[in-house]
Amino acid sequence: MPLHNVFVAEMRMLLWELKRYLFNTGAMVVVMYILFLGMFWGVKAIGGAGITTTSLDSMVIGYVLWMSALFALQGTGGVVQSESERGTLEQLYLSPYGADVIFLFKSITATLFNFLVITLMLYLTMATTGRVLRVDLLYFYPVLFVTLLSLTGIGFMLGGIGLIHKRIGAVYGLLSFGLIGLMLLPVYPLSGFSFIPFVAGAHTLNEHVVNGTEFPVWWHLFVLGNSLLYLWIGLAVFRLFERKARRLNKMGQY
Amino acid sequence: MSDPAVISVKGLRKSYRDTVAVDGISFEAYRGEILGILGPNGSGKTTTLKSILGLVLFDGGSIRVLGYDPARDRKRILRSTGAMLEGARNVYWHLSPDENMEYFAGIKGLSRSDIGGLRNALVERLGLGEVRRKELREFSNGMKQKTALACAFINDPALLLLDEPTLGLDVETAGQIRGMLEEAARRDGRSILVTSHDLDFIEAVCDRVLIIKKGRILSHETLDSLRRRFATKTFLLDLDGRPGSETVAVLERLGETALTDAADGCSLRIVLRDAGQVYPLLDALRSGGMGITDLRTVESDLEDIFLRMIRDGADAPA
Repeated sequence: MPLHNVFVAEMRMLLWELKRYLFNTGAMVVVMYILFLGMFWGVKAIGGAGITTTSLDSMVIGYVLWMSALFALQGTGGVVQSESERGTLEQLYLSPYGADVIFLFKSITATLFNFLVITLMLYLTMATTGRVLRVDLLYFYPVLFVTLLSLTGIGFMLGGIGLIHKRIGAVYGLLSFGLIGLMLLPVYPLSGFSFIPFVAGAHTLNEHVVNGTEFPVWWHLFVLGNSLLYLWIGLAVFRLFERKARRLNKMGQY
Repeated sequence: MSDPAVISVKGLRKSYRDTVAVDGISFEAYRGEILGILGPNGSGKTTTLKSILGLVLFDGGSIRVLGYDPARDRKRILRSTGAMLEGARNVYWHLSPDENMEYFAGIKGLSRSDIGGLRNALVERLGLGEVRRKELREFSNGMKQKTALACAFINDPALLLLDEPTLGLDVETAGQIRGMLEEAARRDGRSILVTSHDLDFIEAVCDRVLIIKKGRILSHETLDSLRRRFATKTFLLDLDGRPGSETVAVLERLGETALTDAADGCSLRIVLRDAGQVYPLLDALRSGGMGITDLRTVESDLEDIFLRMIRDGADAPA
């Protein structure tokens, strides 16, 4: 199964990088733990009675969604830029499976790793604080995974633009903070905002975990369709820019 | 050569806005052959290489690699192709040579067990044994470049395309890479297309050389044939005295002339524009009262030939 070997190679690359940059990996885990602790303890202490259990849960879930969103965005677009800086981008294009498959696998492995760390830290925080956030992981992660595919699509678009324009860090900064605002938009039942990438899925998860809201099948299908549409658009835009980069011989330039 | 060409390029054209990078290049490369591409900076060497790999979309002409059209069957071509395009920068410096080889094999669809034997052989052949599990950033450019070459070989390719494989390397490392490429072509029958500014390297490993300038081919032949073509026109003569100014003027009209004083006369090195001019040369010396104590033809090295072709362009002696 040669395609399976490409995925295994990306998994190994992720593990090698975590091992090589051990300090960074450790710092990331510790910071995440401290942030969760801060949310479980600190906000309650600062906000006093004004902060309800529900708003705390909402804040934790919001943070998890936001972190996952950043991983999904950086997993494609950010990778194009870093590979370009290193000088290895053209080598990825020499894979018979195509660079888009490699970038998709990079995004998926980064997302899965993020799920793992978040889960561990969340449960560690719950054990430390004694406060329990009830999350149905078998519902939460599949829906989150599907939701993030839309941002992988956006990551592909940015990656494609990065092939030509190289430095697009400012766009990531804008998107990172823009996502926080987008998550607050009213999207259910169907509104114009529902068609924005990521937002419908993020709202579904937040409502499900915090208020126990159950959503109908058609809504889940809508979230899936939304994600697949943006993934498809992202890939199409990426291929368009990739073609332009090959025409202008910009692939190996940085 | 009776074998079908491994690479067949016909009328390749590529422009970037107003600049013509490649202007109708045609050539073929065969199994077990090392074909060198020589040319000054901006002559179109790398664009040609990248067009073959499908990394650059060309404007006109056609390319067939391993019998396939890169536009339609790029996947098949890449399965049997290895490339090194940016030397040491083609590998991950935060990984070890072993990890780099494993990763690049992986994205070609090969598993760790698929490459086990080959990886060990490459490590041994390139002298990477002591560093194979250490982070590359700690090591010299040569080690990084050797790792990049190992990665290009890791899918056991029938075709290798190497852009400046010895750039910035010491003599010993360049020699190791040279030995490996020769073995890969002569023993294993791989085809290798290599660009380099290192003329000694090209002269030592290549069977044929393509000399290009401003996107056009100036010469496309074997090194032996190039040498023969030029050797017959460069003469070294020992004279029993120094020729007078009138004789020197005649000599300069015949070709590029260099006179060096010697203890018992003078040495004359002359590159004739045409081999037939050897008779006027002898006549000029005789009428100038010069005695010839020795006359030999000089075999030009590739550097002489290259510089002369680049300077004279299409007017270089045919």
